[in-house]
Amino acid sequence: MKWIRASVMALGLLSIAAVAQESGVVLKDDVLRAEPFADAKTIGNIAKGAQVGILKKTGGWYQVRAGKTQGWVRMLSIRRGEATKADVGKEAGDLAALSSGRGGTGQIVSTTGIRGLSEEELKGAKFNEAQLRKAQSFAVSQADGQDFAAKAKLKVRKFDYLPEPAN
Amino acid sequence: MRHAILCLALILVGGSAQAQDFEKTLKGLRDQFTAPAPESAKPESASPSIPTFGDVPEADEIKLGQQIAGNLLDAAPLVEDPALQRYVNRVGRWVASQSERPGLPWTFGVIDSSDINAFAAPGGYIFVTKGLYKLLRDEAELAGVLAHEVAHVVRAHHLKLIQQGQLISAGAGLLKQMLGGADERLQKLIGSGAEIVARSLDKTAEFEADRMGVVLATRAGYDSFGLPSVLQVIGHLSVESGAVALLFKTHPHPDERLAKLGEAMGNRFDAITDGRSLPERLQKIPR
Repeated sequence: MKWIRASVMALGLLSIAAVAQESGVVLKDDVLRAEPFADAKTIGNIAKGAQVGILKKTGGWYQVRAGKTQGWVRMLSIRRGEATKADVGKEAGDLAALSSGRGGTGQIVSTTGIRGLSEEELKGAKFNEAQLRKAQSFAVSQADGQDFAAKAKLKVRKFDYLPEPAN
Repeated sequence: MRHAILCLALILVGGSAQAQDFEKTLKGLRDQFTAPAPESAKPESASPSIPTFGDVPEADEIKLGQQIAGNLLDAAPLVEDPALQRYVNRVGRWVASQSERPGLPWTFGVIDSSDINAFAAPGGYIFVTKGLYKLLRDEAELAGVLAHEVAHVVRAHHLKLIQQGQLISAGAGLLKQMLGGADERLQKLIGSGAEIVARSLDKTAEFEADRMGVVLATRAGYDSFGLPSVLQVIGHLSVESGAVALLFKTHPHPDERLAKLGEAMGNRFDAITDGRSLPERLQKIPR
């Protein structure tokens, strides 16, 4: 059984590159913990730039696999997605930019039919009163928002704004 | 339109908080334009019953926001889905109710663009593109995105940008503008069309909106990590899609935002274990 598990793990490691949604890149040096709590036992370290496999998410924590170690790390220390795939994507984007002839102009570059909201479009826009009225017609009262929150048992909690980090 | 004149006059009056912000760089320019303003235009003498933000009366701020929103909606109209529009308003209004400015005429909408972005205009007008909405996986993520924009409004980030632009262009014929047609005057305050929404804010303003955004969503009872989750997804998509070009041009990279947010959040949210995500309540969007 142990042997099977080991080989499954090895296969898993091999296939990380192919399963983009399960990988992540470490954004800053951090520790791996045994449980998703700040005071849980430290079981290893992960370095900035390293690639990890993301297994699951609980609150602000990801359970990740880094090399042979599996543990919990703060969600904000990880970016989902995988470096190599992103690089390939970038190249493709650059190629598309070149072929559309708008690459070096700093304009919005579209790929695969996705059309961005361009600055030119925004600049050329004229005041559309009918649309504004329509938008305003969907606005709700504070009481309405409160009722809607109550339906999902959303409860207000006191929480101070965060101070700006030191650096 | 009288409001617009008042607003301009206030911007030009020296000694206000806003003017002080730009005092160092614009001192000479300001002195040139410290024309005597009508008594009623001075912030100190404004009636306490008129809500103001900084030196701009709230009514003027709202009027500016409506102008910008009306322009933006011309470039990208509302998605034709009343249930969806009502839904984002309910979530947005609840989140905005946790801020220091619950009484603004908060108006939210999903606009028909495959671009991935969200916009805030002064006075409480907030729009999310269909492209961004489609990336969302639960209501907590929507709340987080809206909360970031609510924070821009609460801190009047765009209003300050407008004021700054106006002060800087004061030398270039502002007085002439003030003598122009009424609607033109309002439009001139914000530049061409809705380009103001494509202008970059200070990086620090974006980081501040992120920090405030997670707190507003937390106060509203949502999972605190909705906004960071969306940033993670956007960071992942970034280089593969032209749909984030404008967002990336006007915002720090999501990785940088996540890192800053991580530093600011630290272990402060560890005690919160019952924030709600509500994936089942997220309104589905039609193709």
